[in-house]
This record gives sequence, structure tokens and C-alpha cells, in this order.
Amino acid sequence: MKNKNLTYYFLILLAVSFFSCKKEGEYHSITDKIEAESKPYHGKLTSDELLAGSELMEITEGKHTFLILERKGQIKSFACIECHSKPVTQMKSLDGQKAHWDIKMNHANSEIINCATCHNGKDMNNLNSLTGKNIDFNLSYKLCAQCHSSQFEDWKGGAHGKKVAGWAPPRASMTCVNCHNPHSPGYETRWPVQFNTQKGIERKEGLDH
Amino acid sequence: MSENKKWHSLDLGLNKKKEASGACGCGKSQGSCNSQEEELSADEFYEAAINASIGDERQRDGFEQVFDVKMDRRTAFKKLTASLLIGAGAVSTSCSVVAGDDTKEKAQIDWEEQFKGNYKLMNDEEKQGTINRLMRSYELRTGKNISMTAENAEEDVLFGYAFNISKCQGYMDCVSACVEENNQDRNSQMQYIRIHEMKDGEGFKFDKADDNYYHEVPAEGHFYLGTQCFHCDNPPCVEVCPVQATWKEEDGLVVIDYDWCIGCRYCMAACPYDGRRFNWSKPEVPANEINKNQHYLGNRMRKKGVMEKCTFCVQRSRKGKNPACVDACPTGARIFGNLLDPNSTIRWVLENKKVFRLKEDLGTEPKFWYFMD
Repeated sequence: MKNKNLTYYFLILLAVSFFSCKKEGEYHSITDKIEAESKPYHGKLTSDELLAGSELMEITEGKHTFLILERKGQIKSFACIECHSKPVTQMKSLDGQKAHWDIKMNHANSEIINCATCHNGKDMNNLNSLTGKNIDFNLSYKLCAQCHSSQFEDWKGGAHGKKVAGWAPPRASMTCVNCHNPHSPGYETRWPVQFNTQKGIERKEGLDH
Repeated sequence: MSENKKWHSLDLGLNKKKEASGACGCGKSQGSCNSQEEELSADEFYEAAINASIGDERQRDGFEQVFDVKMDRRTAFKKLTASLLIGAGAVSTSCSVVAGDDTKEKAQIDWEEQFKGNYKLMNDEEKQGTINRLMRSYELRTGKNISMTAENAEEDVLFGYAFNISKCQGYMDCVSACVEENNQDRNSQMQYIRIHEMKDGEGFKFDKADDNYYHEVPAEGHFYLGTQCFHCDNPPCVEVCPVQATWKEEDGLVVIDYDWCIGCRYCMAACPYDGRRFNWSKPEVPANEINKNQHYLGNRMRKKGVMEKCTFCVQRSRKGKNPACVDACPTGARIFGNLLDPNSTIRWVLENKKVFRLKEDLGTEPKFWYFMD
């Protein structure tokens, strides 16, 4: 009899502790919560509408499949062979209009990189890998990935670079050339877009809180 | 002796004691009357002092403290007249034959807005009601239309944010995009985001960092780190709010009902990250700069004396967009997404980069991670 009672008490205690633990502060930490409630999102929010105006193409790199912006349509003078009808050496000697006069190379140094590292003089419509294979202008990120492998890893995962629009799926990422000028990929120093004069005054007067 | 006194003295309960105890005039039940007067013990004195100062208010709750007070006739009449005038004013405007329809409608809206409940407790219909009133009220006051929504948190969504310290260059495009998006007060130049310029090799020294620099950036020998509301999973600001005007939504956003906030600033004091801002004056935004796509909990116009803060742009994020700061960042230092979606980029960052949060030991569980390349 006594034993039976004890068992009941124990069961009730167990039930109470089970329910009370589940109520408030269900998870020990946010990472536990994320792990427990993790679930691919197929809700009603999408980025489709936001992406409606952009030309996109799907790529698969490793485990990642996502959209990137189409490039060829954005290059004003594509296709290149419309002008590049003969070898560059012959065109250089010609007098008259000089195309690409504004391109200044500021990308590593001439020991490592020159025009021919990326461009193929014999096939101007395509880019050129280090081993001499064609790379489509739309997939120019492959060219960058040859040297910048860690950035490439981060970009595939989504830690490097920006999205075209919205957090909701489908994922559409900008590629290297959407942010970096391939001929001068570094970011310039510049002034901040603003200065908070009010904060400046408050600091001077010691009113800052 | 006390009858003839010409000054007022606090009644510390001494007289009562005298009457109650003993037959002898000095109030002592033991010893001789000539022996030294017995002193009150510390506890007794404390009790007596409290009784004298707040008296029966100690036993009364809030309602009784307000309504069950002793007052003379003059004060009572004064208070009655004042409240009657206010009531009559409201009634006369809404029922008046002379006042225009607009004035009447405005009065009606103001009345309903004044007595609406806490947004947190509203059902969808009531939420729609209040945003309709606010939109109409704006139209009546300014002649212009705004669009205000009241989207609820989506299921299976938990918003999170990651900030790449190696990428931030201190351009502050995020700060100005935030101000424009969220209709922050231009007079006081309120900003939700702060970019701290810190010296290389000195670590995070927020007291020595400059968050209001103006020189070419990135400055040599410095790095940049942005802070804003971190939307903690265990937010201390929510805990301390005496009126529950701020709370955590299902999608993890910590939000404020500006119409329920009493402006006590407890939340501001409780936030360990300086994430909250207070409107010391009426916030003003030039009419042509007002962002008209608003959310009740987000960038709708605030009033004087209420708190506000970053909401991860609830008016954008609940439509699938990125917060304005994420879109404005030219370096891609800001990553935003759904923490519950294993395919999201924010999850990849959390799982593959070495992430940390500020003041993790406080147990506030911010949903805002930092990482480096």
C-alpha cells in the first residue's frame, strides 16, 4: 500500500516537472531553440516579387544551389567580337577611337596578373581560366575563385557578398563583379555619408547619456 | 502637556503605547516611574515611521489610492469640474451640430484611440481597426495618405542577424538608410545604429571607441563594429517594462507599442547594449521625407515621451525584404535571415564561421552575431 502511494507520488512529480519545464524558458539557449525548431522554410513569404525585375540564372556549386544575376546582358558592349574582329595586337596599332581607355589595372601586380590572365585574345567573347579553358562571362565568379578560394567558400555559403533582394527564399546572390570592379577590386576610402552634429554638441557639453 | 503644544509633532505611536500599557502615568508596567524612559527598538521605530508617513496607503491597492482619498470639498469640486470639462469637450465635438464632419470624425478617432487596449492583446480585427484609425487620422490631419500594416509574425520564422567585422569599413550608409526608413526624429538626429571605430590591437573598448567620427574611412589602424538592438531571446528590457508595452514577438522581434508606452525608460536602463532610444521632444520628419510604408510596431510616427528602437525593419522583414541597413551596406558586412531555416545563409554563417555575441555571459541571448573572415 505504502509502496503504491509512493509510486503515485513519484509519477505525479514526474508529470508536474515535465510540464513545468516545457512552459517557460523551453530551451536552455537560442542555439538549442534553433536546433530543435529547425525546418526548411516553405511559408508564404518569398522573394519572387522582389526579384521579378532581375535576369537570374541558377547555379550549383558544391552543396549550394542558388540564383545569381545574369551578366552578359548588363555589359554594354557585349558581344565583344562585334569590335574585336581581329587580334588585339593589330587593333592596338590602329589610329582613332580607343575603346576601354578608362580601364586601369589595380589588381595585384603585373607579375601575377595581366589582361591575358582572364581574357582570351583569340576568343574575346569568353573568359579564360588559368589552364586556358573557356569561362562564360555569366560565370565569371569561377575566374575569381581560382585565386580567392576562401572568399569563394564564404560566398557560396552566404557569408561573403550580398543578396539581390530579400531574406526569404529563393536565394539570389550578387556575384563578385556586382560589387567589385574586376580591374580594380579594392574598396576606396571615402567620407562617411553623414555626421551627427547633435551628438557632437552633446558630447562637448558632457550631456551624453 | 500635548494639549498645550504650539508646534506639530509626528505621531510615532508613542502616545498610544502610553495609554495602553500600565496604570502608571509614565506608561511603564515595570520598574519605577522615575527610571529612564524606555527607548523604541529599531524595528518598532521603523514600523512607526512608516505608519506616520504613508499610513493606510500601505493597505490600499492602486484603485483605492486614487479614488478613496480624503480631500476637502474645494479640491473635490476642482477635480470634478476639470474632468467634466474634458468629457464635455469630447462629447460636444463629436455631437456638435456646428463642428464639421472632419472635426467630429477626428474627435471620434481620438476618443477610440485614447481608450484602445494594448496591441499585444488585440485580435486581428482590433489591430486592423487601430491601423485604419491611424491612417484616417493622418489623412485628416495632413491631407496625405499613408499605408500602415499590422502583419503578424510568420510561422517557422525566427529572425537573426550577423555582422562581419572584417568587412565593415565605417561608411555609415546603414545609419542613414535606417534613419530614412524608420522616420526617426531629424531634430535630435536620433539613430538606432552606432558604428564604433576601434583601434587595432586594443580589442573591444566601447568607452574608448568613437561612434561619431568624421574623417576618411576606413582610417588606418582602426576597425569598425556596428551595434543596434540585438533582439535578445531573453530580453531584459521586456522584463522590466511596468506596463508590458514592449515584448518579444513569435518571430523573435522585440517590439514596442508606442501607444502603450508610458516613457519611464526602465527598458533603456535595463538594456546592456544601449539599444533603445527615447523621444525627448516630438519627433519631426519633413513631410516629403516621410516613409509612408509603415507598420504599427515599426516606423509609424512616434510621439513625444515614448521609447523606440530598431525593429529589424518589421515593416520590411515581415514582407520578405531585408532590413534597410542590410540592403544599404555596400560591403556586404550585414547578413539577415531566418534562423530556423537550415538552408538560409545566416545559418551557414552560424555553423561555419567563428561567431560570437556581445556580453554573452549576461544570458540575454542576442540574436545578433559577429564574425570575421
